[in-house]
Amino acid sequence: MNMEIPEKYIVAFKAKYGENADMSELEKIYTRSLVTPGEAVGVIAAQSIGEASTQLTLKTKHAAGLSVINTTTGLPRLVEIFDAKKDISTPFMDIYLRQEYAKSRQKASEVANRIIEIKIGDVTSSYTVSLRKKSIEFVIDKELLKEYGFTVKDLTAKLSHMKVSTVVEGEVLSVVDKSADSVKKLIRLRNKIVDINLSGVPGVSRAILNQDKQGNYWIKTIGTNLTEILKIDEVDPVNTISNDIIEVSRVLGIEAARNLIIEEVNGTLENVGLIVDLRHIFLIADAMCLDGSVRGIGRYGLSGEADSVLARASFEVPLKHLIEAGLYHESDPFKYVANNIMSNQVIPVGTGGVELVVKQNGKGNSEEDSGENKEQ
Amino acid sequence: MSFVFVNGVLSGVTDDPNKLVKEIIEDRRAGNIPKEVNIRYRKDTDSVMINSDGGRLLRALIVVKNGKPMVTKEDVQLIKEGHLTWQDLIDKGKIEYLDADEEELAYTALKEEDLTTEHTHLEITPLSVFGTQAALLPFINHSNAHRNVTAVKSVQQGVGIYTTNYLIRHDNDSMIAVDQQTPIVKTRMYDNEEFRSHVFGQNIVVAVLSYLGYNMDDAIIINKSSVERGLFRAMFFRPYKVEETKYVGGQSDLITIPDKDVAGYRSEDSYKYLDEDGIAQVNSHVNSGDVLIGRISPPRFVSSIDKFRLGVQKQVESSIECRTGEGGIVENVFVTSTAEGNKYVSLKIRQDRTVEIGDKFGPRSGQKGVVGMLLNQEDMPFTYSGIVPDLIFSPYSIPTRMSMAYLLELIGGKVGALGGRYVDGTSFTGEKEEDLRKELMEYGFRENGVETMYNGITGEEMKVRIFVGDMTYIRLKHFVANKIQWRARGPIQLLNRQPTEGKSKSGGLRLGEMEKDCFVAYGSAMTLKERFDSDKVAIPVCTKCGMVVVYNVKKRTGYCPIDGEDSQIKLIEVSASFKILLDELKAVGIYPKMVLGSKV
Repeated sequence: MNMEIPEKYIVAFKAKYGENADMSELEKIYTRSLVTPGEAVGVIAAQSIGEASTQLTLKTKHAAGLSVINTTTGLPRLVEIFDAKKDISTPFMDIYLRQEYAKSRQKASEVANRIIEIKIGDVTSSYTVSLRKKSIEFVIDKELLKEYGFTVKDLTAKLSHMKVSTVVEGEVLSVVDKSADSVKKLIRLRNKIVDINLSGVPGVSRAILNQDKQGNYWIKTIGTNLTEILKIDEVDPVNTISNDIIEVSRVLGIEAARNLIIEEVNGTLENVGLIVDLRHIFLIADAMCLDGSVRGIGRYGLSGEADSVLARASFEVPLKHLIEAGLYHESDPFKYVANNIMSNQVIPVGTGGVELVVKQNGKGNSEEDSGENKEQ
Repeated sequence: MSFVFVNGVLSGVTDDPNKLVKEIIEDRRAGNIPKEVNIRYRKDTDSVMINSDGGRLLRALIVVKNGKPMVTKEDVQLIKEGHLTWQDLIDKGKIEYLDADEEELAYTALKEEDLTTEHTHLEITPLSVFGTQAALLPFINHSNAHRNVTAVKSVQQGVGIYTTNYLIRHDNDSMIAVDQQTPIVKTRMYDNEEFRSHVFGQNIVVAVLSYLGYNMDDAIIINKSSVERGLFRAMFFRPYKVEETKYVGGQSDLITIPDKDVAGYRSEDSYKYLDEDGIAQVNSHVNSGDVLIGRISPPRFVSSIDKFRLGVQKQVESSIECRTGEGGIVENVFVTSTAEGNKYVSLKIRQDRTVEIGDKFGPRSGQKGVVGMLLNQEDMPFTYSGIVPDLIFSPYSIPTRMSMAYLLELIGGKVGALGGRYVDGTSFTGEKEEDLRKELMEYGFRENGVETMYNGITGEEMKVRIFVGDMTYIRLKHFVANKIQWRARGPIQLLNRQPTEGKSKSGGLRLGEMEKDCFVAYGSAMTLKERFDSDKVAIPVCTKCGMVVVYNVKKRTGYCPIDGEDSQIKLIEVSASFKILLDELKAVGIYPKMVLGSKV
């Protein structure tokens, strides 16, 4: 963490240990005293964000019709981030361009048009399925096809690797699958064909050109595909970002994902005028990214992986955890808040966090306070 | 071709739906078909819906033809003279009832002046757009709609005379205001004959100012001397109902004064109010814990206990006692029998409820508040003419809520009090603000209702003029006396030894999960443990097998059923609910072994 030691401490430190004193020692002391030992930082972080989010529900504005791209904001977005959802409801990317392309509207819009995905479904207007002919007949919208700059041959070429034969008669493209024996199979084939990519980046359904204050053009897209976008030469790979945390962690790494979590949570809260200290969000983001992959907070994430059997059982689906603990001879170290509260013991937090260092009989405190094992 | 549905059932088709609708409406107005039949043509589904079934809300409206209402001035005159009735107007098709469906076709004007040739109907009075409740509120066309909803909810909770035969009724939660007045600012709804015997609220002097800090937010200050003179005094009735139940085997309860040899006999003192018939005497002053109706029941568990007890079984005492904190005067007693022929006794207790701190009051404009202080008259502010307000209301409640009805009623009430007349505050058609202001000026007051006031404590003149006037306030049914509850020690639940829940069982106040988190966040671990100590128990645990063992607390010895007499036993302090958890784990086949360590 980048921090500045207040001047008064530096003066006092130098006064005591001399001008040439080791400043790294002061830094150590200062860092250590920032948070009191035994401070329940997790609970405080949870309360700080939790209290703010109760106001979020009330303050969420309806953005429908206001902007071109309607993104998830407010409480639904927060839930999405903290649960580390794989399919977020409004994925988007902010694509920035290299300096030589960013200044020109023409060049930028050329990139924008290039990345929009066009599927076969976009250039066909209707279809009929025939089980007797074992075929699907698509009606091609020739005008659209021309506008996008494709020919009918491009279509058939895309279908060539599939085990189907294609016939083109005027505006009708019929795809015959000899192996099809039910309408269901044909419909499935049709859905597959409609999704075939003709051009552009898969997953990007729209791209909108924007201009920042410096006059640089950048592109906002609906749908994300960072892997493909970063391959494009014109794209500035340093600044381009997606709002899909799982994708970012896969493509750019866990540190990028952590930064994105912090940015997204803070942005969502700031958007409705709530100010939460960044350090609370740091803590949660760190906890989520601790093991190198993004884990959500919940039954299948952080809370479901706690050491303590009783803490897990008191959260959700208790029976499952208790039976597993019995089967696998798990023990509960009674080091956490939940299990100590349950058994009415002093919690190891705050004033309960201190212990005697030297024992009366000279022995150290090697034994556990009161532990618990489970067997079946 | 459009479908025709009669009461939701497809009954035919028509080529000209609009003609059908027109014909049926004309037929109904002519009296050829019943008045309750309503018809509507739906363009979106191309179908004609005819409804004649029950359960539809119907609204009466004046029929308008070519921009002229069918009910003429002559008709009104004839009704006033008694030559014409409401039914006549309906029979003549001048007034008709529309349901929700047919209202969609109607283009209704609120006032006669608004009529154009396009209108099909006219409201009988603009007031009829409101329900019965909203129509009782004065000047609500000046207020925020949300405030009016709140006002209606407030008024519904008002304490008045909900029924005039309350003395012979034994309703639960019945409250009666001792004194009530017709509001100075009335609406036309108040002239209703039915309503006159059920008015509620009192006309009091209200000053809008911030005083001593005891009327912050929605609190109000009430003149203690006014309360002592009987302002807002109310009665609260609590019925106690008892039945002489008959049991299998010919045994039965008995309502009587229990004998001393009855199991569970209380002290002689607690039966002192009972008459010979076992029912408390009318007009006796009872306190909590006193027996109101003495009753004995046959012994329970007849077969099982017989084996262990010799001699005759004792009757069990099952009297009804006065609730905790709810003493009062026995108002009356009814003795009757139920449908099964059992004796049935109902006894009603009356409690006087004078105003105290925390009681809830509200005007008819949604500005309800709670008493923050009862202030002696000599300390209350007073006007130049010596008027002392009964109630002080905070001016900070006005700007955000924009309840202009409150301010208008205050001026209206002042005009009415000075002029010795009722003021018409009916929405849309009531007296105008300018007229009220003009009249106030004629009585020698400032037209905006403010007056010079003096601090009651120091006698100094207040630097600003205070808005003061008369208005109706209603006492709402939320009495502090019914809700107050506290506990230091008290009853616990049998299973988990935690304090009971709820006021009636004098339960504890729960320190919930979120409250617990606050202690954790603050780091006060010892305080938190103490708060959860209410169910702590010391359980004996075998150090070898880690299970709860057999233990004799007096002799301080015990043995482990698994490891025998020689095993070392330690007493550990846990919550009773944790012991239940361990027991339940054992019940599902999980072995919860406690490994003990030393604390020091």
